[in-house]
Amino acid sequence: MNTLRLSWRLLRGGGARGLVGAGLTLAAVAVSTALLLFAVGMNVAFEARADREAWRNPVAAQGTAAVAVQSARPEYVGERIISLVEIAALRPGVAPPPGLARVPAPGEVWMSPALAALARELPRDELSGRFPAGPVRIIGDAGLVHRDELVAVVGRAADDPAMVPPAPSLDRPLNMIPPTPVAGFAGEHGELASGYRILALIATVLVVVPLLVFGGAAARLTVARRDQRLAALRLVGATPGQVVAMTVAEAVVVAGAGALAGLVVYAAAVPLLAHIPIGGGGWFAGDLWPGVLLVAGVLLAVPLLVGLSAAAGLRQVVVSPLGVARRQTPPGMRAIRLVVTLAVLAAAPVVGGIGYGAFVIMLGLGFLSINLAGPWVVGLIGRITTATARGPARLLAGRRLVDDPRAAWRTVSGVALTGFVAGFLGLLSPSGGLMGVRPAGELRLEVPAREVAAVAKAADARLATAGVPATVVVSGPGKDQVDPREKSPAKASEKGTGKAAARLLTAKLERDDPATVDRARTALAGLSPGHSATSPADDGREGGMLLNDVRTGTIVVLTVSFLVAVASAGITAASSILDRRQTYALLRLAGTPLSVLDRARRAETLIPLTVMGGGSVLAGVVCGLPIMAGAVSVTGAVVLVGCVVLGFAGVIGAGALTRPLLRSVTANPAPRPD
Amino acid sequence: MSEGVVLEGRALVKRFGPATALAGVGLRVQRGESVAIMGPSGSGKSTLLHCLAGIMKPDEGEVTLLGQRVDTMRERERSALRRTKFGFLFQFGQLLPELPAVENVALPLMLGGVPRGVAVNQAMAWFGPLGLAGMESRRPGELSGGQAQRVAIARALVTGPAVVFADEPTGALDQATGQATMDLLVEATRGNGASLVLVTHDREVARWCDGLVEVRDGLVVSGTATAGVPR
Ligand SMILES: Nc1ncnc2c1ncn2[C@@H]1O[C@H](COP(=O)(O)OP(=O)(O)O)[C@@H](O)[C@H]1O
Ligand SMILES: [Mg+2]
Repeated sequence: MNTLRLSWRLLRGGGARGLVGAGLTLAAVAVSTALLLFAVGMNVAFEARADREAWRNPVAAQGTAAVAVQSARPEYVGERIISLVEIAALRPGVAPPPGLARVPAPGEVWMSPALAALARELPRDELSGRFPAGPVRIIGDAGLVHRDELVAVVGRAADDPAMVPPAPSLDRPLNMIPPTPVAGFAGEHGELASGYRILALIATVLVVVPLLVFGGAAARLTVARRDQRLAALRLVGATPGQVVAMTVAEAVVVAGAGALAGLVVYAAAVPLLAHIPIGGGGWFAGDLWPGVLLVAGVLLAVPLLVGLSAAAGLRQVVVSPLGVARRQTPPGMRAIRLVVTLAVLAAAPVVGGIGYGAFVIMLGLGFLSINLAGPWVVGLIGRITTATARGPARLLAGRRLVDDPRAAWRTVSGVALTGFVAGFLGLLSPSGGLMGVRPAGELRLEVPAREVAAVAKAADARLATAGVPATVVVSGPGKDQVDPREKSPAKASEKGTGKAAARLLTAKLERDDPATVDRARTALAGLSPGHSATSPADDGREGGMLLNDVRTGTIVVLTVSFLVAVASAGITAASSILDRRQTYALLRLAGTPLSVLDRARRAETLIPLTVMGGGSVLAGVVCGLPIMAGAVSVTGAVVLVGCVVLGFAGVIGAGALTRPLLRSVTANPAPRPD
Repeated sequence: MSEGVVLEGRALVKRFGPATALAGVGLRVQRGESVAIMGPSGSGKSTLLHCLAGIMKPDEGEVTLLGQRVDTMRERERSALRRTKFGFLFQFGQLLPELPAVENVALPLMLGGVPRGVAVNQAMAWFGPLGLAGMESRRPGELSGGQAQRVAIARALVTGPAVVFADEPTGALDQATGQATMDLLVEATRGNGASLVLVTHDREVARWCDGLVEVRDGLVVSGTATAGVPR
């Protein structure tokens, strides 16, 4: 095809520098694609986890006859959580839950591989003694969230006291699922898993928007290098269609290669990414693989977007061949950009409160609006810098900002958008101290009110036999079961009236080292059917894990954003040198010290970076307010400051790294047209 | 070395790999004198100019400015020399596209430490005499080729250099504009007391200069007046 041949010639005709440019584009697209696949893979992975965990969230059988009764609650060993599921089949031949070869018969125990290993490792009176004796069967991966997860499934008889559905209750903790008659083991996504998916979606928005900006910058890089040559082609009579086709073809070919390279990079990174611990463990490699369709979609969409972006960048050349050849000022940007941004930011806290969907959309809009206002503000900063400049470096920097605010914005937009992310997440980032200190040596067990005296005696005896010194006291009403005649269960608990059907037994251990606590838990196991002895510390474990995960997620998102920001700063710095090599060469030739050029380049980046970086951190804080709920943490502030410092260091570093390129481009300053 | 010699190159040799661009060229420029360098394309004219101006180091031979060795200086010193003692004029591209014309002219002064306001005022003074009145705040993209070259002339002369180097400065202009521009260049350098080293293809233009050297295959084949080999 004629157009393709021509573009190929154009690409090669660019010479070594042209190939450097194409190489930069390719690298940028590869990085973007890899990160995009990560963003997509992350969502797919959380969905896969939610799917595999769904069977543990029974859906009450309605209308149809129940085939089994299922309950679930957490157990604890050391500081780890065990998901304990109890199942009683109501008739034979019921399809088993995923990962189990059959529905467990009464007394049968199934364990995840990690729990089975732990049970073999720890003394019987610390862990395995809590489960019915006999051979342990292993749950397959299909029923596990991750490989290190601790899961136990215990088969019960249908008439086991543990499997009797309780009266409905309002204040039962989320992670306690009472015996529920079910029509099958399909289940539904758990609330926690759904929460994780929403967090993943927010993280995706935070990562994808800077990625899109970065990709667009990379695409325009191809065009920028070709401006002059293409304008020349237009001048000698190439039709607009031909010029567009040629450039877009080149951009798409380069981007296609970059996207493939990105796929390879992501595939190579998956084993590493699988180690990121979320929800108490890493990932199955397969979880992070978005699947053939999504991968194909990304591989198609990336070159397409790059092509579109390149075409948009070319519009000016095509409209007027002289527009680029003679470097006229592009039409000014209007202040309306800033107005739109401020409006969006003002609306963010309000709309954000409505719901998660609106919140995510608002977040994306807030993000895009920063990108919209960016060039306008950069232009304004440029005019101020120009007006106040005394020395040549600042004057050059200011004029450059005024001349092409979009280009300057491209250099700093990555960090500015990361600043938004950091502002958004930074103050949110929770510290462990938020959970407070809770006693670990106080085990509480819920017991039916009628049996409380007998059970207390038995508990005393069992703890003595197990060699755990402790005192057992009866303390207040239970939290799980409430007298159905009582209209307001919450009030009943408050008053501590004797009407509650359940009471709490508390065993105060004299020592609270993990082994002792586990021995006490094991000793008390099965004493009150359907209940486990847990400490206040245990009750905080799930929340603590969630906070940990939010922190891990914050770090991952910020790391990715920084990679994008610094990569894009480096790439735009390099491309700006390539674009302006003749100017730089002639300036040096006329005796301009390299240090002045470098200072101008630095000012050109740092001035807008300071203003925009600070602005977007603030914008991020504003957008984060609705979900911050007043819980500002010190670590959060530290993370935020760290991000700002690292962002500046990264951009300055990227600029410093391109200094050798500036030196080599200007080393042989003999002017030659190219 | 005679009294009036400003710039002198002796037995200059410059090789690019196996190719020899200069094969022992000499050239002498007197104070206030204009010297034209002519020769076919690829004969070494630009290379000679770059060696004389301290842009390149010759492989052999020496270059002196007012008795001071230029070729042995380090890059930092040569850079300072180019900034203060020399002015440059090329075919195109020496004006910064984002700076208004007047700031393009003021820039060399500012690089030399002149405060911005003073530099801009000094630069303004060049626009009238060069026929550029009213063009001060236009940017290079908004000037015609001839106007842009006149701004570049002001830029080359504004620091009061000892020597102006011009490499085919009118190569991109039509004949009439080119000759008019060249006329201005020669007049302005003379009026400023600066010497001029001018690479040109135009015999007509060369005739206005005080001296003429012809270069072929890296050697001076003929010289007039004070330039080049002894007559
Ligand atoms: N940077 C360079 N690298 C390699 N060869 C060069 C370089 N500059 C000039 N030359 C070679 O030196 C010779 C003289 O070049 P030049 O001085 O530019 O000629 P002119 O200006 O007379 O056309 C030519 O053969 C040219 O190819
Ligand atoms: Mg030449």
